[in-house]
Amino acid sequence: MTRHIIERLLISVPVLFGVLLIGFLLLQVVPTDPATVLAGPTASAEDVARIRESMGLNEPVWYQFLIYIGRVLQGDLGRSFISNTTVLSELGATIVPTIELMIASLIWAVPLGILLGTLAAVRRGGVLDRAIMAFSVAGVSMPIFWFGLMLIQYVGFKWQLLPFQGRAGPLWTIDGLTHIALPAITLGGIFVGPVARMTRTSVLEVLGADFVRTARAKGVGEGRVIMRHALRNALIPIVTLVGLQIGFLLGGAVVTETMFAWPGVGRLAVGAIVSSDFPLAQGAILVLALSFLAVNLAVDVLYAYLDPRVGRA
Amino acid sequence: MTDTTQDTATQPPVTTAADALKRQSPWRRLLRDKAAVVAGTFLILVVLAAIFAPLLTPFDPYDTNMRMRLKPPDDVHILGTDTGGRDILTRLLYGTRTTLMIGVSAVIMGGFIGALLGILAAFYRRLDNPIMRLVDVLLSFPSILFGLAIAAVLGPGVDSLLAALTVSAVPSVARITRGAATVVMQQDFMEAGRAVGVSDFTLIWRYLTLNCLSTIMVYLTLQFGQTILLGAALSFLGLGAQPPTAELGTMAAEGRNFLFFAPHVSTLPSVTIFAIVLAANVLGDALRDVLDPRLRQ
Repeated sequence: MTRHIIERLLISVPVLFGVLLIGFLLLQVVPTDPATVLAGPTASAEDVARIRESMGLNEPVWYQFLIYIGRVLQGDLGRSFISNTTVLSELGATIVPTIELMIASLIWAVPLGILLGTLAAVRRGGVLDRAIMAFSVAGVSMPIFWFGLMLIQYVGFKWQLLPFQGRAGPLWTIDGLTHIALPAITLGGIFVGPVARMTRTSVLEVLGADFVRTARAKGVGEGRVIMRHALRNALIPIVTLVGLQIGFLLGGAVVTETMFAWPGVGRLAVGAIVSSDFPLAQGAILVLALSFLAVNLAVDVLYAYLDPRVGRA
Repeated sequence: MTDTTQDTATQPPVTTAADALKRQSPWRRLLRDKAAVVAGTFLILVVLAAIFAPLLTPFDPYDTNMRMRLKPPDDVHILGTDTGGRDILTRLLYGTRTTLMIGVSAVIMGGFIGALLGILAAFYRRLDNPIMRLVDVLLSFPSILFGLAIAAVLGPGVDSLLAALTVSAVPSVARITRGAATVVMQQDFMEAGRAVGVSDFTLIWRYLTLNCLSTIMVYLTLQFGQTILLGAALSFLGLGAQPPTAELGTMAAEGRNFLFFAPHVSTLPSVTIFAIVLAANVLGDALRDVLDPRLRQ
C-alpha cells in the first residue's frame, strides 16, 4: 500500500518535470525579446542589457530552466501579454468555475451511467441491454460540440428555456443554477455512455462470482442481490475507472467552456493560445496538467485503499 | 516443446457448435454481424467519396460567392451554402478528405511508434523498464493537453494537430502491443527460433510482430474514432486546421455564429463526424469480438 503510493509518486516526478519543460518551452518560443518588452520603447540599450542581466537571459538555457522552476515554485507565472495582469490572478479567477462545471456534470452523469449500466447487466442480452449499449456507443461517438450546439439551438434559442452564455454567479443562486445547466448537461452527456459501459462490464463480472451464487442459493431476493451484493462490489472498479476518465472529461470541459463562454481554465487556455499570449497559455496548461496529475494520484491511492489487492500486486 | 505443437496439429476435429463457430474464418464471422457490415460498408463509401471528391461535385470547396451566403438547400446546392457562399456538399466531401487524412496519418504514425516501443519493450528485457516508464509518463497526460501544448508551442495549424494526435495515440498502443507481445514471447517457437540461430530482426518481425498484428490492428480501429473526435474538437476550438480549410471540425466552428438562422452550416459537418466515428467504433467493437476478445477489458 505505502509502497504503491511511493511508486506512483515517483512516476509523477518525471511527469512533473515534463510539464514544467513544456511551460518553459512556451516562454522560449516567444518571438519578442522579453527584456525589450519590459524595458519599454524609450529604454536605452544599456537599460535593456541591464534588464537582460537581471532576468537571467544571458545565462545558459538549462540554468534559465532552473530559474523558471524556482519561479513557478514561488507561484510566479509571469504576466499576461494582453491584460498585463499577473497570470496567477487570471488563473485564480477561473479555477472555481471549472471545478463547479465538473462537479455539476458528474453529479448527474455518473449516477445515471451506473443506473443504465446496471440495468443493462441485469437484463443481459435483452432489448433493454441492447438499447442501452447502442445509446452508449452513440454517446462515445458523439462530437461534444455537436451536442452542445443542439442544446444551444433548441433549448437556448428556439424554446428560450435556459441561458447559454457565461456564468451568472455562485451555484446556490437561481441565476447561477440556470446558467450552469446547459454546460453541465453537455459535459455530463458525453460521460454517461462510458460510465454505463464500464458499469455493465463490472457488474456482469461480479454477477458471475461465487458469492452472488451463494447469496441466490440461500434465497436472497434478486433486488437485494443486485443492490447489496453485486453493485456494491462492482462500485470499486467503477469509481476508479471513472476517476481515470478525468482526462477525457477535461478535454470535454475545454470545448464546453469555450462554447458556452464559461469563464474556466480551459477557455482561458484556448483564448491565450489563439491570441499568442504565451505566459498565460503556459500558466493555464501548467494548472490543467498539475490538477490532472493530482486527481490521478488521488484516484490511484483511493483505489489501493479500497482494494488492498492492488497494493500487493 | 515440439510435442505440444504437434499435439494441437493432430487433434481430431471438434464437433460442438461453439467450436464450429470458432473454427469459421474470422471474416465469415464478421460478415454475420449485421451492424458491422453496415458500418464497414458505410466507411468504405465514405473513403471512396473522399478520394473521388473532385469527380463527385462540380463546385470548388474554396470558391466564395458572397451573394450566395448561408442559402438553404435547393436544386443547385443540394445541402445549401455556408458563410462564404460555398457549396456545403462539396465542402463536406473535401472536409471528410482532410479529416480522414489527418486521422489516418496520425493513427498510422502513432500506431507505428507505439507498436515499435511495445515490441521492443517485450523483446529486449532491459528496455522494458525505461520504455514502459516513458509510456506511463505519456499516459499521465490527457490527450487534450497534448493538443493545447503543441498548438501553443508550434502555433495552431494542421502540423501541430497531426503532432498532437500522433503523440496522444502512442502510449496506449505501446501498452496494448507490449501486453500482446509478452504473451507471444512465452511461446515455444520464440525459443526455438532463437535456438536455431534466427537473427533478432527476423525474430522480431516474422515471429513476434506478425503474431501481434491482429491485436494492434483491432486496437488501432478502436483508436481511430477517438483520434478523429479529438482532432475535430481541437479544430473546432481553432487550434487545428485553420479556415478556410475544408475540415469538418473547422467547418462546424465556422457555422457556429450563424446557428440561429442557418443551423445546417454547422450541423451537417457535425453529423458527418458523428457518423464516421460511430461506424469506426461499431466496426472496431465487432473486429475485437471476432479477432481478439481479450482486448474487451
